[in-house]
Amino acid sequence: MKDNTSIKFFGLALWKWFSMLILIYVFIAGWLIPLNPGIIKVAPESIKAGESVVLEVTGYNSSFVSDTAQVRAWLRLTGDTVIKAQHVQVWDNRRLTASFYIPSVFPMRQEAYPLTLILDHDTDGTSVLPNAVFATPAENQNPAEMALWFSDKVEHVHVKSGIQFPFRNILSETIRNTYFHVPMWFTMILLFAVSAWFSLQYYRNGQIVYDQKSVALIRVGILFGILGLVTGMLWAKNTWNAYWSWDVKQNMSAIALLIYAALMVMRSSVEDQMQKARLTAGYNIFAFALLIPLLFIIPRMTDSLHPGNGGNPALGGEDLDNTMRMVFYPAVIGFILLGLWISQLVYRTEKLK
Amino acid sequence: MNRIWTLVSTEARIELRERYALSGILLYVLSASFIVFSIWRQLPPKEWGLTFWVIFLFCSLMAVLKTFGKESEGRYFYYYTLYHPLELFIAKALYNMVLLLFIFLMLWFVLSIMAGNQIIRVDWFMITGLMACTGLSFLLTLITSIAIKTQQNASLTSVMALPLMIPLLINLLRLTAYSLGTTPDDNPWNEFMMLSGIISLVVGLSMWLFPYLWRS
Repeated sequence: MKDNTSIKFFGLALWKWFSMLILIYVFIAGWLIPLNPGIIKVAPESIKAGESVVLEVTGYNSSFVSDTAQVRAWLRLTGDTVIKAQHVQVWDNRRLTASFYIPSVFPMRQEAYPLTLILDHDTDGTSVLPNAVFATPAENQNPAEMALWFSDKVEHVHVKSGIQFPFRNILSETIRNTYFHVPMWFTMILLFAVSAWFSLQYYRNGQIVYDQKSVALIRVGILFGILGLVTGMLWAKNTWNAYWSWDVKQNMSAIALLIYAALMVMRSSVEDQMQKARLTAGYNIFAFALLIPLLFIIPRMTDSLHPGNGGNPALGGEDLDNTMRMVFYPAVIGFILLGLWISQLVYRTEKLK
Repeated sequence: MNRIWTLVSTEARIELRERYALSGILLYVLSASFIVFSIWRQLPPKEWGLTFWVIFLFCSLMAVLKTFGKESEGRYFYYYTLYHPLELFIAKALYNMVLLLFIFLMLWFVLSIMAGNQIIRVDWFMITGLMACTGLSFLLTLITSIAIKTQQNASLTSVMALPLMIPLLINLLRLTAYSLGTTPDDNPWNEFMMLSGIISLVVGLSMWLFPYLWRS
């Protein structure tokens, strides 16, 4: 918005070139960097304790064939309580079978025992599928078999090197949405905040320029909000199996958009220019202040399926690893700059009219 | 303070003189509850709370809608010379608050007769109602004062006010769940603090912005 003093390069301010470059990088890296190998399916899903089972494992992006002899597999109950596969047979890059003997006794007593499958070999490193199979208790329990749980440890695992995004169960490829969905909301919030600040300036000075700027920002903010909602809905169709599941975050962001849509409707129904600007400024400040509890406090008080709520992972821990950070942070900066750029264009077109 | 009180009582006297206004609201509450109840047939506690606030929301919108409508331009000009806009605003908001409180009690009474009183903690429901009336009256008075300046004020008031009411409404529902005993949560103070935070935000902001918006 304050473009007059900035350095130009081929007639375009440097920060615009910068935002374009970043976004090109984000789109290329975000779409093309492959995911880490992972496990997507294990059959059968339910097994009986005290018996031998053969698990059919389907891998994702995996290359089992390159280490046919060295693939190791474990079923983990908790922490160090693991059993190692007696035999692992590789069929092709995506399929292998692992045979286990499930001890008839367990260190704790439950209705069913969720077991996590761990695979490890040189080429792919370690892949994990939480709650891969459920074991039901055996009829005849042999206490001597307790020792089997502690006879082996998950040790000497290989770490996959190279630039790859983490593989997460259920999320799989949709993890890339982090680079597009999240920056949309960051941009929307920032644009609305700057717009509220310009409204405050209008409140103080009464210069019509501030009104035009704040309205341009609101328009582009609404656009980014809609994009954030759409990217979120597409993601939710793949992971939550519904475009709209009345999750608190979906509702609150839709309401936030309604508030600003109402502002635009209100603007269009006032004739007088000064009146229009004054009402917009007042309502904008009021709306932005109420947006803060709406978007930042209420969703945190309710259970939500959204990553970052109710124990669901989000920005942090394993789910935003260093490779993802290398794309995510530039994406945030790139989309924010793009948002400011578009608002500048909207503002200038309005001014020309 | 005295001057504000004069304004409130003038407002109330005008309202009482024109009986149709108050009885209109009463009828609105009655017919709305009747429609909702004849659809639901029976209201378990949770639905009782939801129904209560939905009806209350629309009744309050309807009641507050004409805050700035009925006076003529001339009287506003007269007020403008006599009172500071803030005094006018506080008077209007206080009057609306009393009106909303009246609706609140009436609706409670009507729903109790139709569907039984499901409220377990009466004191907390009274507090919730008082807070709801304060927050909504200030919010709605500000929004009507904006909408009155536009061409189509009735529909715009609802369009602008409804989404802004949501943060208030969500916290009201939580506090109501406590007074209905439908939540296992035994500590209402979190919700109470949250609600009073939002209400003070609404009251503060609307008192700050109204004098600015009122100039024309």
